[in-house]
Amino acid sequence: MTANDVAAHLLTSCKSLAGFESYMFGSTLSGVGQDIDILVVGPCGEPLTKLKCELGLAGESLPLHLLYMLPSEANHTRFVAREKCVSLALLADQDGDCHLHESLVISG
Amino acid sequence: MNWQVKYALANFSKPGERSKAVHVAGDLIKISTPDRPDVFAAIAAHETINIDAAIGYREQFENLDFLCGYRTSCVWEGDAIRYLEENRVGWGSFGTLGSAALDGDANTASHKIYKFSDRLIRQYGPVADVVREFDRVYRVSLRTGTTLRIGMLAEYEPTADAVRSLWDRFGPVNIAWNINPSGTPSPEALEAGRELGCEVMKWDDLRERLRKA
Repeated sequence: MTANDVAAHLLTSCKSLAGFESYMFGSTLSGVGQDIDILVVGPCGEPLTKLKCELGLAGESLPLHLLYMLPSEANHTRFVAREKCVSLALLADQDGDCHLHESLVISG
Repeated sequence: MNWQVKYALANFSKPGERSKAVHVAGDLIKISTPDRPDVFAAIAAHETINIDAAIGYREQFENLDFLCGYRTSCVWEGDAIRYLEENRVGWGSFGTLGSAALDGDANTASHKIYKFSDRLIRQYGPVADVVREFDRVYRVSLRTGTTLRIGMLAEYEPTADAVRSLWDRFGPVNIAWNINPSGTPSPEALEAGRELGCEVMKWDDLRERLRKA
């Protein structure tokens, strides 16, 4: 499964992701990594609980490493820019193996 | 072949890896490293490894050197840890397995994320006794008679969710200890701790807290 496939799989399987910003980062973007790093930014509480259940099922046969941040934490740490996170929606729209073009890396 | 075994083999076959691995049977792989003993390791996909799982793997594979919880989120229960250590089976993450194969100490290796902190807390003077309930949760008895339940946060920058998840998964703790020496808990993580009723701190503050408790 390529990074693109994983992104498409998660977006299809986890309807609650629509209420969050979701990204992939780390080694999976350039090949096989030990795990698949996913950042989810959004609210806590019930929506997050529901999303965690969905991701648990979707990741049953995947080594997902999930990091959840509040929007304020993402802003404060500048994690998206620092770790060169790529939106799952952008990844899912790409075809073929994921060797990311520089322009697809989120810079904000 | 199970998905986690495929990932393990793929990672050992990366260019530049000194160790090489082959599939043996089921979840068992054999890792070979020049000038080091071969390592027979079971690669588990469990979210939680309890004593039943640990016994099951050891009975299934008599020559088991190491039990690897492949998922980053894998939790190890204290009974399972004690059983494996008593039977000279190393345990921990995939990263721990890779290091153990290179170091030649697979039978005694323990989860590298928590190894340093485990030693730190056990060797600290005011501490009289430590019971490891989970890989990251300890019940610490001090010489003064005070007992504290301490949970470890391994993240570089622990988030509010990391604190809440620790509490939800393992129950109430007195202290959430950020064990990553370079990390700093977010203000939201500190606030989440206050709301739940636990303190979020690094070693320097924890050391003082234990000394005065």
